[in-house]
Amino acid sequence: MLLKTETYKQQSNLAQFCRDGKEVAILNAKPERLSHYRRLIFNVVKDALETTYPISFKYIESQTWDEIVYNFFSLHKCNDPQVWRMPFEFFEFCKSEKYADKYKLPFLNDLLYFEWLEVEIYMMEDLEYPEFENSKNLLPEKIAVNPEHKIIKLEYPVHLKNPIDAVNIKGDYFLLIYREKESGRVQFVNLSVLYTFLIENIVMAEKTLEEIFSDILYIFGINDLEMLQTESFKFLDDLKTRGFILGVLNN
Amino acid sequence: MDVKAGIGFRKDFAEEFLSGSVLKPGFVELAPENWMNIGGFWKKKLNQLAEIYPITSHGLSLSIGSPEELDMNFLKKVKSFLKEYNVEIYSEHLSFSKCDNAHLYDLLPIPFREDSIKHVAQRIKQVQDFLGRQIAIENVSYYTPVAAEIDEATFISKIVEEADCQLLLDVNNVYVNAFNHNYDAKEFINNLPLERVAYIHMAGHTKVAPDLIIDTHGEAIIDPVYELFEWTLEKIKPVPVLLERDFNIPEMDELQNELNSLEVIMSNKWKASNVIENRNI
Repeated sequence: MLLKTETYKQQSNLAQFCRDGKEVAILNAKPERLSHYRRLIFNVVKDALETTYPISFKYIESQTWDEIVYNFFSLHKCNDPQVWRMPFEFFEFCKSEKYADKYKLPFLNDLLYFEWLEVEIYMMEDLEYPEFENSKNLLPEKIAVNPEHKIIKLEYPVHLKNPIDAVNIKGDYFLLIYREKESGRVQFVNLSVLYTFLIENIVMAEKTLEEIFSDILYIFGINDLEMLQTESFKFLDDLKTRGFILGVLNN
Repeated sequence: MDVKAGIGFRKDFAEEFLSGSVLKPGFVELAPENWMNIGGFWKKKLNQLAEIYPITSHGLSLSIGSPEELDMNFLKKVKSFLKEYNVEIYSEHLSFSKCDNAHLYDLLPIPFREDSIKHVAQRIKQVQDFLGRQIAIENVSYYTPVAAEIDEATFISKIVEEADCQLLLDVNNVYVNAFNHNYDAKEFINNLPLERVAYIHMAGHTKVAPDLIIDTHGEAIIDPVYELFEWTLEKIKPVPVLLERDFNIPEMDELQNELNSLEVIMSNKWKASNVIENRNI
């Protein structure tokens, strides 16, 4: 490295001051002006986090939120050069530091993840859509779906209720999140366990719909195939209308 | 690239760019960090934008002044972005925004020192080799010197010469720094390698204390900055000029008026025919 250790040290001191705000000696610098760097940088970080996590910001007491944000930026080394991706590191930091327990915010991990995924899926690179065609009879076919999606499991239904109420009904909640092709809007679909199984198997595209129904009968102990199919088709029709189900895969 | 006045593309008023009803920039500038590796709604908007306007790119996160190694993975993505959008001018700040492997998402001043010159020049060369093009390096505003041992103009000049890169001359930054650090703006500009200026930035700023201006890009350009701009243009060859406006966005006709004002000056000072006034298009 062509940089002398002393020069590096000065840069490192300035950077560390911007991250934690703790006074540090920097050669020839005007201390009263250094504070502007800390303020400007910390505002960028705060703004990015408040924009990405508006629900968390709203429901977490401001003193606690500020402390979490301060800890994050002072202790964590932000790795991503794209500032809009930085909030994902915030989510991972909070999870690894077990802040849900420490700050008695049981919903924290679920809520941050849920809010982050909306941004991630909204911004994600375009994925190639499968070749598909419309068919009236889906049963013997493999189903084509919008590839720009994610299925997640949450402990608290933060997608259905405000986080304060959601912590009272801990359970297994499944959620389909996808991006509409034309509008680019992100949509959320609450899934039952059965429909999660159905959608996950459709996405894998290893089995026809008929084979998936057969698996469901066996795994979920259902006897009434007709009812299963009737209800499932209503659900799948709705997903087709909403742009998640595309049609049947071309062989 | 034609010698025109352009403006930074902002999501806040993206539709104004696309409709072209009031705002008619000659080109648009955007930060590749905010636009690369994305899809969906904003990718479509970006593609529409690229069909209408030439694009220049002004980076934020390369951190050319960082002590650590360059992020080649990031640079690879930048290269691909520049190619995809046929970007002729790629510029970056003469500053650092990452240290000890932690991004800071803002621009910090590099110590004005001889070892920094060698270090930064080598990194610029490495970037240019990788991208297969010259890049333009911008003089940044700063609020306090950090461990400086030489003057700013010498620091910038030596880096630009040693790296054999272009200079993005930010006239507002010169004004801001001259005010904040009590030096003569014209003398400063005279001491720069003006033959290397490939691009100019103009912007407004905010005075936060009697002795301190912050480079906010949140106000209209003030007259003394216009005057400095006018004076500067006599000394350099015609280059594209960018209006930076990132906050406190006014009505579009106000922005267009600023673009018009810049182009009138460009046209008057650079009587060469290659100044194209957008308001006449």
